[in-house]
Amino acid sequence: MLISYNWLKKYVNLSDSITAEEVAAKLKASTVEVENIEVQGKNLENIVVGKILSESKHPNADKLRLCKVDVGNEQLQIVCGGSNVKSGMLVVLAKVGAKVKWHGEGELIELKPTKIRDVESSGMICASTEIGLAEMFPLKDEKEIVDLSHLKVKPGTALSVALGLNDAILEIDNKSLSNRPDLWGHYGIAREVAVLFNKTFKEYKVGKIKPGKEINIKVEVQNIKLCPRYMAVAMSGIKVGPSPEWLKKSLLAMGHRSINNIVDITNYVMMDLGQPLHAFDATKITNGKIVVRTAKDGEEFVTLDKEKRKLSSSMLVIADEAKALAVAGVMGGLDSGINDQTTSIIFESANFDASSIRSTSTKLGLRSDSSARFEKSLDPNLTAIALQKAVELVLADCVGAKVASKVVDESKFSLKQGPIALSTEFLEKKIGVKLPKKEVVRILEQLGFEVKSKGEEFSVKIPSWRATKDISIPEDLVEEIVRIYGYDKVSATMPTFSIVPPTEHRLRKLERTVKNILANSLAYTEVYNYSFVSGGQIEKMGDSLSKYIELDNPLSKEKPYLRRNLLLNLLENIKNNIENYPEVKIFEVGKVFSTKENGSRADSNGDSLLPRQDSWVAVAYANKKDSTPFWQAKQALESIFSGLNADFRVVPHDKVQPWEHPSRLALVHSGDQTLGVLCEISPDVSEAMGIEQRVGVLQLNLSLLEEVLSKQVGKSNYKPSSAYPDVVRDLAVLVKKNISHKDILSALTGSDPLLKSVSLFDVYEGKNIGAEYKSMAYRFVYQHNERTLVTEEVDKAHAAVIKILKEKFGAEIR
Amino acid sequence: MQEKLKQLKTEALLALKSIKDKAQLEELEVRFLGRKGGELTELLKGLKDLSDDAKREVGQLANEVKTSLEEAVSAKKKEFSKIEMAGLLEKESLDISQPALPPKSFGHLHPNTIIQNDLEDFFTSMGFMVLDGPELESEYYNFSALNIPPDHPARDMQDTFYIKNHTDWVMRTHTSPVQVRAMQKYGAPLRMIVPGKCFRNEATDVRHEHTFYQLEGVVIDKDISFAHMKGVLESVAKHLYGPDTKINMRPKFYPFVEPGVNLEVTCFVCQGKGCRLCKQSGWLEIGGAGMIHPNVLRESGIDTKVNQGFAFGFGLTRLVMLKYGIEDVRLLESGNMKFLEQF
Repeated sequence: MLISYNWLKKYVNLSDSITAEEVAAKLKASTVEVENIEVQGKNLENIVVGKILSESKHPNADKLRLCKVDVGNEQLQIVCGGSNVKSGMLVVLAKVGAKVKWHGEGELIELKPTKIRDVESSGMICASTEIGLAEMFPLKDEKEIVDLSHLKVKPGTALSVALGLNDAILEIDNKSLSNRPDLWGHYGIAREVAVLFNKTFKEYKVGKIKPGKEINIKVEVQNIKLCPRYMAVAMSGIKVGPSPEWLKKSLLAMGHRSINNIVDITNYVMMDLGQPLHAFDATKITNGKIVVRTAKDGEEFVTLDKEKRKLSSSMLVIADEAKALAVAGVMGGLDSGINDQTTSIIFESANFDASSIRSTSTKLGLRSDSSARFEKSLDPNLTAIALQKAVELVLADCVGAKVASKVVDESKFSLKQGPIALSTEFLEKKIGVKLPKKEVVRILEQLGFEVKSKGEEFSVKIPSWRATKDISIPEDLVEEIVRIYGYDKVSATMPTFSIVPPTEHRLRKLERTVKNILANSLAYTEVYNYSFVSGGQIEKMGDSLSKYIELDNPLSKEKPYLRRNLLLNLLENIKNNIENYPEVKIFEVGKVFSTKENGSRADSNGDSLLPRQDSWVAVAYANKKDSTPFWQAKQALESIFSGLNADFRVVPHDKVQPWEHPSRLALVHSGDQTLGVLCEISPDVSEAMGIEQRVGVLQLNLSLLEEVLSKQVGKSNYKPSSAYPDVVRDLAVLVKKNISHKDILSALTGSDPLLKSVSLFDVYEGKNIGAEYKSMAYRFVYQHNERTLVTEEVDKAHAAVIKILKEKFGAEIR
Repeated sequence: MQEKLKQLKTEALLALKSIKDKAQLEELEVRFLGRKGGELTELLKGLKDLSDDAKREVGQLANEVKTSLEEAVSAKKKEFSKIEMAGLLEKESLDISQPALPPKSFGHLHPNTIIQNDLEDFFTSMGFMVLDGPELESEYYNFSALNIPPDHPARDMQDTFYIKNHTDWVMRTHTSPVQVRAMQKYGAPLRMIVPGKCFRNEATDVRHEHTFYQLEGVVIDKDISFAHMKGVLESVAKHLYGPDTKINMRPKFYPFVEPGVNLEVTCFVCQGKGCRLCKQSGWLEIGGAGMIHPNVLRESGIDTKVNQGFAFGFGLTRLVMLKYGIEDVRLLESGNMKFLEQF
């Protein structure tokens, strides 16, 4: 919304020393967001009104004219290419030193005396685009210069003075006004400015309407809830035509095109008071009867913007007995509006239900200055003043115009104006500083509240313009007082608390540990992905859409499903990065959404539950040279559990998901829980996703892991080590591929009291040993707790180990 | 004999001065101090012919001469060793500009994680709990309990992702629902923060992202005031941007607080003088805050006659972008390694 600084001054006694910038700064600090200040005429220095005394052909150019121009104190010779230049005309003359935009383009350039085709020219006669006034003087043809002959000013008058361009326009962010129905016009903003500068605020003065008898109008409000007040009055003797200059200028400053005197007046009143008005052509309303009713489902209506709209029964329309005339509070109809032939009008000044207006305007995709205001819950008292003002302006502008009917006022509303009880103690407790009582009363009273004080207690009556939604409780008054008093004047203090250590968020701590292990120990890179996945991704994985929760209104049709694992987007990351890197190691920690299990409660009494949303970690590894990335994924698993000082088991898994490599797949167990899956992505699925490489993947449910860890209390890992030297023997054995390390390990562990540890350090498969075999290299450590071993003892124990390997596993010693 | 000893000492010390290398030094050592045929040894052979008194006297002098010669030789030796070692070490010089090879690859935490960890630690140090809540929320917690009425614009389909076949489920549009969950669970007094993922149904571009992160905080106790809110927020600002950072508050409407403010901090690029980043204002907006609305407290089971408090929310995503000078928000959730490996 635009606010004119001069317009504000009509209502606040601001001294000239208070600049628009200061007003904007105070408004920003205490009331609304001011996004910009446009100072009019700021680039119009050295630009004056000039009078062309004579003009003749340029001696060296056909299309240029040589002009003698009176600029008050001197006469200048100017070369001009304007198509409409003629003797006696008042023009915009940019003198040497003025800043103009050549042909309306590029940067501002300072004028210097120059020669054009050998003829001196000391200045420039300007087109509107060259001085930034294209809106005020629209160009009819490219070479047209501004004609100011209609102005009654002396040559030499500064252009900004001649045009009255001495205003500053404040641009206010509409969003910052969303809770303030009273600030949608100059009058409301002026009230704030008056309080902020502690200046007198002028009452809005407007006279009562003297009713006429010429036209009989009736209003029937069928839905008083959606239309708490409807006022109307007819006027006759109207002559529709151009608006007076002051009105045009006011609207132009607000970025509004002037349409005609009647429409301009409705717009002016709206920008003045914030109350939208509408003017109907009285002759187009059947029997002079206005009906405020809800639309019929499917009812069609052509709005002012020539769009055909389909209405529904939740929308309110202004109609006569035959047809709809306007979508109430949103936009008028094409057929019932004012045109050049209109001689009698009916003004509507009404109040509509805010949510109804908002829902109608949303449904129609039609937002207007009017709907933007009504949806903020306007003060129903405003309708009367606005209507009076509009009538007054018409009477002043149109000779012969008169009020032709009684003023109809259908209304049923009640405002909750309090009073609210407030005390200095309450204020101090909320704000944390003691405010002077006098200042409190001043702020409230200047804002329009009626304050009755009794000792330290106040009884505060809410003014009607703040009573529709924005003020209802003492806390609302606290805000009014402290924002005007100044947030910057409240000194900051730290609260005091008992030194109770905060309850630890164990899951978050676990997430952090896991992230640090993956990033810092294993050089994985953390990614953040959207929680949304596409149907295409799900299908390529071979998963079923029915297992996914779906958005009702996805941003794009592309990704409408909520992820139930982190894998889909992680694989997409692999695909997008693997072209640039020989190796991609990434992980993500995040929540996934289950269709099967319930999670947190959805309401305060816990009757209904939300879907379970566990936190998972997923790790993905791909390398152009690695055809068995399973092991990298397993290393991630081992590192995580080692870092957590916890145990896990991998167990075979027979319920293979379509994207899992069936023979490179394991479930991860810890405690009594299944925590996740370790696998390679099935090569056909990777391929479908556009990944040529094998991908190793680990997925762990961290929410469950946290539960498992919380049950492991006081696990002790330390065992005293023997003081006597150990003996290490390495051994490689050839076994069939189906023999598992786990079986070998469990057969050997504890087989001899001297055997302290068995560890696998290499596995080889290859041509040299035959396709069905693998070579496994183990390291055995022998040790006695009480003495140094002798070779014979070790030989004996090692022989026993070899015997087990041969007999149980058919191992061949290499 | 005494004369001879003195002469030997002078001669030896003189010879030592002109010695050039270790070999010459050894030669000299043998010549004067050698056990067999060394000049001093030879000279002392005459000692046995002296009287007891003279023996003692000359013996003492002989010892002095021997010690001083040995010390001089040893000093010279050290000198040569030092020179020799210096030469040797010189030959072992390395190109220190070269990286350690083979190169080791490093992992990277997401920038959001880095900032979030930092703030979690900061708040924990002030006794705040770190909490978490569902990302798929109920309308009750996301809106109603937060004093956002059914016809509030925030509930529009343009702003909120709704869930198919569950009209009362939404993707949470802010972390604020956890305020209510926390108050219902822990009551007062309460100090907590909740960092987390939020969703808004808006088209993405350089500055807008439908998925982003917030960090919400709540402080509730008997006398928690607006001034306390200023104190805590100022300490956060100083933690983030240095001890000279100031905060600025301006009115801003949020249904769940009253009064509500937006929070600006001194622009850390220009120290408040005005620059491109702060659009010449000297201030950067980093979040919103306010005294918790009594309706929200009541809905959360807090006795508003006894307790009151404030809440604040930072755009965590915005803090990340400011901190690292990231101009395109979409990079954060792009999974692009070229971006991620810079952190």
